Amino acid sequence: MLTVKNLHASVDGKAILKGINLEVNPGEIHAIMGPNGSGKSTLANVLAGRDNYEVTSGEVIFQDQDLLEMEPEIRAREGVFLAFQYPVEIPGVSNLYLLKAAINSIKKHRGEEELDAMSFLKLIKEKAALVEMKQEFLYRAVNEGFSGGEKKRNEILQMALLEPHLSILDETDSGLDIDALKIVAHGVNTLRNENRSMLVVTHYQRLLDYIVPDYVHVLAHGQIIRSGDKSLALELEAKGYGWIEDHASAA
Amino acid sequence: MQVQPDIMVAPGTQPYLDQFKQLSDNLPGQGVDWLQSSRKNNLARFGKNGFPTQKDEDWRYTPLKPVTGKSFNLLSAPDFGVVPADVQSQPALKSISGLDCHRLVFVDGVLNMSMSDISGLDQNVSVRSLSAVLADDPGSIRDLLGSIVGESCHGFAALNGALHQDGLVVMLEQGAVLSKPLEVVYASNQELSLVQPRSLIVMGKGSKAQIIERTVSLSDSNSLLNSITEVMLDEQSELDYYLIQEQSRASYQVSGVWARQKRSSRFSCHTVTFGGGLVRNDLRSEMTGPGAHCDMLGVYSLSGKQHVDNHTTMIHGAAECTSNELYKGVLDERSRGVFHGRIKVEKDAQKTDAQQSNNTLLLSRDAEIDTKPQLEIYADDVKCSHGATIGQLDETSMFYLRSRGIDPEAARSMLTYAFVNDVLGQIKIEPLRDYLEAALGEQLIREQ
Repeated sequence: MLTVKNLHASVDGKAILKGINLEVNPGEIHAIMGPNGSGKSTLANVLAGRDNYEVTSGEVIFQDQDLLEMEPEIRAREGVFLAFQYPVEIPGVSNLYLLKAAINSIKKHRGEEELDAMSFLKLIKEKAALVEMKQEFLYRAVNEGFSGGEKKRNEILQMALLEPHLSILDETDSGLDIDALKIVAHGVNTLRNENRSMLVVTHYQRLLDYIVPDYVHVLAHGQIIRSGDKSLALELEAKGYGWIEDHASAA
Repeated sequence: MQVQPDIMVAPGTQPYLDQFKQLSDNLPGQGVDWLQSSRKNNLARFGKNGFPTQKDEDWRYTPLKPVTGKSFNLLSAPDFGVVPADVQSQPALKSISGLDCHRLVFVDGVLNMSMSDISGLDQNVSVRSLSAVLADDPGSIRDLLGSIVGESCHGFAALNGALHQDGLVVMLEQGAVLSKPLEVVYASNQELSLVQPRSLIVMGKGSKAQIIERTVSLSDSNSLLNSITEVMLDEQSELDYYLIQEQSRASYQVSGVWARQKRSSRFSCHTVTFGGGLVRNDLRSEMTGPGAHCDMLGVYSLSGKQHVDNHTTMIHGAAECTSNELYKGVLDERSRGVFHGRIKVEKDAQKTDAQQSNNTLLLSRDAEIDTKPQLEIYADDVKCSHGATIGQLDETSMFYLRSRGIDPEAARSMLTYAFVNDVLGQIKIEPLRDYLEAALGEQLIREQ
């Protein structure tokens, strides 16, 4: 599904990622953990194709294609989805309008028939129920005046609608209370299947109680310093990031 | 009729002084002495003062050379003849889909009855051409026509005063309601035509109306439309006035809407500018009675070398009046926008509430906006605010939309559209709003 080889990237000339290697197979959930400033969000944004992140070396292969060659919208149509850490408010554009434009651009890319208004509405109402989003939110401007939890649920709603092959969740748990966290996790788990992969970027282990990963990687100073299964997350929670960083520099 | 020969005339005015000599016998209002003397006074002032220049603070950001350097020709009724059938079927003259309205169409300044329909007007409402009123009952408008514009106006208004053609006279008696909107279309057709409509809207006490003024081009000709509409709102009357500017980019337009409002009247003026090479809108309201309210809302979406100058004057002349101005523009390529918003609060206009804002989205490095608030406040218990923002499309929003699979072009027009849509959203006539939203969408896509 996804192969990241020796990926280096910088932001405003400052090197952030310093040689990331990662292999994600279909159906797997990988958690990327790490202290603030370790490069977690940079990795997520580089994979989604954000402009001001410059890849200086390395390669990323997604479903046998060079991901880094693709524009952000092409990545999305090929099945990459980034759930934003800070979802953007867009006054004047209704949520429904964005969702319809998004699903139809993806359907068109896949050579499928675009949805008409009726079948789109039916589909979106189904998906909204999955993340317990009230219908009025569909008619409001994208994320405008949404609470932190509502914004994150809206991200998962988009993900549920677009049915990506690879979902990247960038600190989806930040700013969520426990109820919202459960709703979001339920949405994510419903989408889980043997063909879909996920990269779950998080600072805290808490989210991983609800979205159980197959692998956990610890990112520090732009490199993956340790990989393991879900027990690594629990160990980190107990001992803190200091423990593993000391460990890594000692090794 | 004799015109005193002027030895010294202001630059650019001579062609019009000559046309006055040739055409004045064919202009509306023959034999109406008060009008003839008003025409002559205006002509004398125009000949003396000429067109405004950029040295004049009110015209500082609008270069008029393209207009004043040409000589436009006023077409008068006898020369004009019949509008050919192919003109009548032009898409620019099509009605707005779903809009049930009364309609008057002027081509090159002359009323075209075959394309107009004002049958079934409501009781106590009269809609007539200015020339018809001047022929039948000139006394009914003697004290009204020109009463707001007065004699201290700029050169374009003086030129209109001297050489105006036909126009519209709408009168609503006390309590009358125009149940359908009235659409007035000014179409320019012939090369270098000068079109000078002159209109009067008289709203009786408690009357209500919606009027749409559209300017369109039937060809790519260089034409100049120089219009004046005077609006009188009696107590508690309400008028929504829409100025929809869709003419060709080869054309020039100077539009004046001059309103005077009595106690508790409400005047809303919406300006939507998509077309025109050089457009200047002079929008004024003088609130002379307490509790009056005036909205001036504007949207402009420009590209190429289009230049649009919205010049508003809001005069709070009585207590407890409120005004609200919101202008939003999208400027692409080398286009240029000007917003000059003057608010004057007179000494006795306590409890005034005046808000003004101008927000501009610049889509290109070469586009330019000059925005200038001008507040003159002589009362001490007032609330006045003004603000201007200038920005580019938000990069983060662009990435957000693209990361959902949306084309950069579509994302760009979505965000641009969203930027101005709250102003269009305030248009109360639904078919007109739909029409303008679609027109804006098309324009933004075309500009990609």
